[in-house]
Amino acid sequence: MRKTELAVVGAGPAGISGALEAASYGVKVTLIDRGDRPGGQLVKQTHKFFGWHAKGAGTRGIVLAEQLARHIRENENVTFFGSTEALGYYSDKVLLLETPRGIEPLQCERLLVATGASEKMLLFPGNDLPGVYGAGAVQTLMNVYGVRPGRSVLMVGSGNIGLIVSYQLVQAGVRVAAVLEAMPVIGGYAVHASKIRRLGIPILTGHSIKEAYGDGQVEGAVIWKLDEKWNGIPGTEKDLKVDVICLATGLTPLGELLWQAGAQMEYVSELGGFVPLYDENMETTAKGVFVAGDASGVEEASTAMAEGKLAGLSAAWSLGRVPPEEFTRKREEIRNELYQLRAGPTGQKILRGLETLSKRAKKVTA
Amino acid sequence: MRPSADAVVIGGGVVGAAIAYNLLKSGMKSVVLCEKSTFASGSTGRCGAGVREQWGAEHNIRLAKASIDMFEHLAEELGYDQDIEFKQKGYLILAHTEKEWDQFKKNVELQHRLGVNSMLLTPEEAKDIVPALNTEGMLGATYNSRDGHANPFHTTRAFLQAARRLGGDICFFTEVTAIELEAGKVKRVRTSRGDISSPVLVNAAGPWAAVVAKMVGVDLPVYTQRHQILVTEPVGWFLDPMVMSFSIGIYCQQTPHGSVVMGIGDPDEPKGYDTGHSWQFLREMASIVCRLLPVLRDVRVVRQWSGLYTMTPDAHPILGKVPGVDGYYQAVGFSGHGFMLAPVVGRLLSEMILGKQPFIDISGLDLGRFERGEYMVEPSVV
Repeated sequence: MRKTELAVVGAGPAGISGALEAASYGVKVTLIDRGDRPGGQLVKQTHKFFGWHAKGAGTRGIVLAEQLARHIRENENVTFFGSTEALGYYSDKVLLLETPRGIEPLQCERLLVATGASEKMLLFPGNDLPGVYGAGAVQTLMNVYGVRPGRSVLMVGSGNIGLIVSYQLVQAGVRVAAVLEAMPVIGGYAVHASKIRRLGIPILTGHSIKEAYGDGQVEGAVIWKLDEKWNGIPGTEKDLKVDVICLATGLTPLGELLWQAGAQMEYVSELGGFVPLYDENMETTAKGVFVAGDASGVEEASTAMAEGKLAGLSAAWSLGRVPPEEFTRKREEIRNELYQLRAGPTGQKILRGLETLSKRAKKVTA
Repeated sequence: MRPSADAVVIGGGVVGAAIAYNLLKSGMKSVVLCEKSTFASGSTGRCGAGVREQWGAEHNIRLAKASIDMFEHLAEELGYDQDIEFKQKGYLILAHTEKEWDQFKKNVELQHRLGVNSMLLTPEEAKDIVPALNTEGMLGATYNSRDGHANPFHTTRAFLQAARRLGGDICFFTEVTAIELEAGKVKRVRTSRGDISSPVLVNAAGPWAAVVAKMVGVDLPVYTQRHQILVTEPVGWFLDPMVMSFSIGIYCQQTPHGSVVMGIGDPDEPKGYDTGHSWQFLREMASIVCRLLPVLRDVRVVRQWSGLYTMTPDAHPILGKVPGVDGYYQAVGFSGHGFMLAPVVGRLLSEMILGKQPFIDISGLDLGRFERGEYMVEPSVV
């Protein structure tokens, strides 16, 4: 059976950072991803990052993905398994992999789960019609494969993803009929919202989709206003002729491997759903199983990279590769970095979620 | 929960549910069922869901035959508002070794004598029933169209709902912690949610039967063993009967929903209470089933799990009273076929408890048979 010291599932910003950090201490790492190249969601992010310049802000996601992929290729301690799915994690520390060559078990001394998040679905009649997409899928089609998803789009959700993808759709020559937002205010940054308002795209707050219709595919959508209890108000319906409905209604952590590993999971709405309890080293309650990135709570790429680095450092330390003083110093550095990354107004929600999580963790150990 | 009852049944699996229902139906006024978790959470909800009368020993054939008679009208009898998904599409049992084929000829002879219309088939005839079957290396098969499968969750729920309607007190998350005897008679049952006085106690605790029996000082000659199982994504209809092989040690059936459920009987599985699962099973199951039914090659597995068999020395259940402990009854040690026998066992146990003559003679299935040496091992188990 193939063996590795650290298996990292998910080659997005968190997984790659973890793999590189552990590898820098001589740990033999196997990095696994469903996609055929490393980079995770970065490979479709053509926009520039905001925030802290020292931590990659101002760089486009696709450029960052290329840089990270190069580091992976050049690192002799990291083996990359692309087009490979981790099917399950078993009690004998075996990850079962579906590779292009077939099913292969991989024995790993440590596991880092950096599986990211999946898009939330909305419930409405017609949501299974071809033409209803998640925003991530639309981004992949356009920015990775150069395929336009349709001619006219209704965007549901005005968080940063909904706003950025709307802008990218227009850049690709697709009409955006409207952006809907169920909340009374726009979810994403004002800088993104202003850009699409300048293009004349209406952002309708307090609105949601009532239904999608069409013969075999989306031909239109009925939208309506919501009252203060989130119920649609009859009589406010509007019919929009669109052939694509794009859902950008948030993400939820992908924790299947963590459940299988027996890690204790808690529902924390600020973090996007079920997340594992983890300690200051990013280790879950399942010994030797670490977590980083959106799988530990939905945030963004910079915090994912910092968390990944911390998890990789801790995994290397737990394998006896990092001198204790260096470990303590570096851990404090990264924790400080995470603190600063979350210092802005958008970080407040995450901090609240993390506080809830840490209270539950204390309850468990008490 | 009531402070006293005419009978307490331990176990919210299908066997306990069937017993509780039958006691109430036969006129018992106050029945409490204690289940430490929720219904069908032990072996019932984890089982392969098959129902067959093609057995190799007389007791199992008689019991299974009567059970299938009952399954045919069960939803109606219990007034269940949903479908228990009982489908009689047969069992096709494959023979790959001479020894097995000889045993099948004997089984079919015995089955015919007891009124089961099973058939011996050539590999070609088997392929007519399951065109997807790879008959390479097959010597023959037996088939019985009255066999089939049902939904264990719906079946258990149907019994429990009917029991509740008849006034039964069905208590979930209620764990029995001790049983008090007085002068050799059952007196009181202690639970995590209070005590119940009762002159009758029924042990239908499935894998935990030996633990409960110990509470009244009875040693059961049983052990529990893990069996693994998986389910695939739903696919187009291709498999009418349950396909089974004892020498390969597998069974495989397609549910009404289209998914395919399959398991292996592996003698090396751990004994005890481990209900985890292994990647080795996934790989072995896939390679065996794809040899037998090559159409499954590209079908995806959506879930794997395991459950416990409670094995007796002869792979027959242990039913009825135990001398020296008045008021204690047991329906335990089903050896992997408790689900299919539950309807008939529910009736038989209630007849015994109420002092009636059981409608099938099961005196040979008591605990004493092992000491007397009067038992015959069932040859046809996975």
